[in-house]
Amino acid sequence: MLGRWLLKQIQDKRKETLQDALQMFQQSSDFVMHDLSIASKGFHIAYFQTLIDTDRLNKDILPFITESESQTLEEIVRDIPIQAKEITKSPNDLRKKVMQGFIVIFEGGNPSKCAIVEVALDSGREVAPSENEFTVNGPQESFIESIDTNINLIRKRLPLPQLKIKEMKLGKMTQTRVSLLYIDGIVDKENLKTVEQRLSDIEFDQVIDSNSLAQMISDNQMSVFPQMINTQRPERVAAAIAEGKVAFLADGSPEAIFGPTTLVEFFSSLEDYYMSWHISSSVRLLRFFAVAFSVFATPVYVAVLTFHYELIPRDLLSTIIASRSNIPFPPIIEAIFLELTIELLREAGARLPTKVGQTIGIVGGIVIGQASVEAGLTSNILLIIVALAALASFTTPVYQMGNTIRLIRFPILIAAAFTGGVGIAFFALVTIAHLLQLKSLGRPYFEPIFPPRLTDWKDAFVRLPFNWMSSRPVYLRPRDKGRFNFSRASKKHDIDE
Amino acid sequence: MDNPIKEKYLVSGFLTLFLINGMQVGMGVLSYQRTVVKSAGYDAWISVLMAGMVVHLVIACMYILLKRSNGDLISIHQQIFGKWLGNTLSFFACLYFVVLGTTVLRGYIEIVQVWMFPDLPTWGMAIVAAAFFYYVVSGGFRTVVGLTFLGVIIPIVLVPILLLPLEFANFINMLPIWKHSIVELALGAKETTLSFLGFELLLLYYPFLKNKELTQKWAHFGAAMTTISYTGLMVVSLAFYSEEQLNRTIWATLTLYKVVQLPFLERFEYIGISLWMFLIVPNIALALWAASRCAKRIFQMNQRIALVISLALMVIIVLLMPTRQEVGLVDMWVGEIGFYLVFVYIPILVVLQAIVLKFRRGSHEQTTTM
Repeated sequence: MLGRWLLKQIQDKRKETLQDALQMFQQSSDFVMHDLSIASKGFHIAYFQTLIDTDRLNKDILPFITESESQTLEEIVRDIPIQAKEITKSPNDLRKKVMQGFIVIFEGGNPSKCAIVEVALDSGREVAPSENEFTVNGPQESFIESIDTNINLIRKRLPLPQLKIKEMKLGKMTQTRVSLLYIDGIVDKENLKTVEQRLSDIEFDQVIDSNSLAQMISDNQMSVFPQMINTQRPERVAAAIAEGKVAFLADGSPEAIFGPTTLVEFFSSLEDYYMSWHISSSVRLLRFFAVAFSVFATPVYVAVLTFHYELIPRDLLSTIIASRSNIPFPPIIEAIFLELTIELLREAGARLPTKVGQTIGIVGGIVIGQASVEAGLTSNILLIIVALAALASFTTPVYQMGNTIRLIRFPILIAAAFTGGVGIAFFALVTIAHLLQLKSLGRPYFEPIFPPRLTDWKDAFVRLPFNWMSSRPVYLRPRDKGRFNFSRASKKHDIDE
Repeated sequence: MDNPIKEKYLVSGFLTLFLINGMQVGMGVLSYQRTVVKSAGYDAWISVLMAGMVVHLVIACMYILLKRSNGDLISIHQQIFGKWLGNTLSFFACLYFVVLGTTVLRGYIEIVQVWMFPDLPTWGMAIVAAAFFYYVVSGGFRTVVGLTFLGVIIPIVLVPILLLPLEFANFINMLPIWKHSIVELALGAKETTLSFLGFELLLLYYPFLKNKELTQKWAHFGAAMTTISYTGLMVVSLAFYSEEQLNRTIWATLTLYKVVQLPFLERFEYIGISLWMFLIVPNIALALWAASRCAKRIFQMNQRIALVISLALMVIIVLLMPTRQEVGLVDMWVGEIGFYLVFVYIPILVVLQAIVLKFRRGSHEQTTTM
């Protein structure tokens, strides 16, 4: 124990030189180092050829160095026409910068200082329309893998000096740049502190995507419900920040995460704000109906046909019996068989390339469904119900929430098979009790249903006209509560004026 | 004298409405018709109305008690009876709350067994319920209130369906009005007590309300909602059934659901019983919360442990009531105890508290003048 400690002390005492850092780089075969013949002095240039833009190096840097009459390192650096350049003596600094795509210029075999110049290769894709969150109307831009481009997309939409960005590096190995975005003066300090604190407390070696970060900082990791919203659309993030939410982006991830959020918000799409309020309100109500249908339809079928067939009037019962008369299984087996088939199709469709995926849809939807009815394995009524329930679950605008909804109906299905309507009611209650306890960044997740806050109902199950939404959502506790002055705005609209 | 509750655990004052109403409406409403009709006949609705009026008086009494002591039942007891006797009385209240929750649970299990699943074992349901209530109550008062709130809102869909049997109603049954004596009506009113019980929990959750002094109107609104719905349901039942039928029907409300026929649905009582869970779960959760909170305040113990003990007690009592006979007996006893506790003991407490306060102030003045 003591020996190890002493050894560590000695190792720390022996100061690392620039030479050591360079030697460490040379163990990788993509690190190149060659001589520069300037004024017959022994200058060297070194870089990772996989990290830098060779084109720029040859065009913008090397000509200036070789043609200059410089004698010293300082003079060489002065001549290079690039902003991000410096002379450093710290090996630590050198190591970090070189890994980010800087080139090193130094003199002699054992340099005491070296110049580093940024020539990083920018190999991101172009900003393209969003494929996962498609809307008919509205902007089509979506985030890409480069955090600077993503921040640019947001800043363009909110040209405010109050839009603040806090950057941190997360992940021992990945050193991922994570940026926290918020508008000072609107955001609740406590929400901001919560996100910042939780992000900086993350002890995980690799941060690959912002979605995994969102899970790491969520309030209850045991919960099946997502507690923060992820999106690929910059205007959605801009709208969220402008409401007083906190968002964050991770480098290398084309998705932004924002919170705090509520259960209801997962069922609102940005397109709700682009269409007239009557239509978007109806569409929203349709989505909530779809969720209820998707969760409860199959369990109700199982419960009714297993236990409560008295519920069905005589005329309808004969139709159902006719469709089930040849089926050798109890309803639960039939239902689980079909539900699993749909889930398999969905998963296969998601994993396969788009063009093959379409075939899967046809093969699955039509061939398997039709064949299983004809083979007498399932009733066609259940086939209709299951297909509709699956369809309904895809109306949820946030993909993660759609997955949750599809998952929670399986326990309800099983409860329905054992205890009928009582089981369904019990599981509904368990879910409600869970939602009541759930928090998103410490704010109640089930708001505005409970705690009941009528002012937030304007933009929850329906979306009322914009001139009614004079205040920002209450649950965010925004420091600036009003979007606009309602009384002044309504004064302008008097009769004949 | 007691530590005030932290702001983040408080709930809005208007939720008192739902707390009072949600706690009152539960198992009683499924079967209260028979007992009232026994003594009050076709004037039963007047009895229900009378009982509702008395509830308002008791709520007023409770607010007097709570405002004077600015605490909860435990501090009121300590204020009047001193520490030891006061805590003993509070402990009895605590046991009463456990038993109150238990009768609701056992009653619901019985209905599920009689109407839907005769083979479902009582112990199984009791244990699943205990696990569920542990989860709910350990979420704190706000979760319990949330469940109570939704337990009032969601079952509202059941209310209009109860009007459908009016197709076969015969309102002439109820004429002439007031053919029973006041004593008979009062006896009938006393019989409905069990279905009105639950609002006495206000004595425990009062410190958890925001702007608690201003919540009295909401409490009265809540109780008025209960009275109106009970009276309305009684009128529907009296118009639908004959007196003789009501005397023989145990769950008159459920039988009302049974006659409902919609084009795509019949035998509504299956849906009714399933959705009834939304009504009874808040009852039990709130009673368990109150019991564990009470124990915490008396013994200065961890509320989680108190909750586990209450749940264990609940399961044991449920198992001790295997048949209809025991359930009926315990229901009757709880109704009786609840009646004396709420309608007799609480008014007495008001008087005692007034005397104690006057005496204290007197002695205080004496000491200062000396």
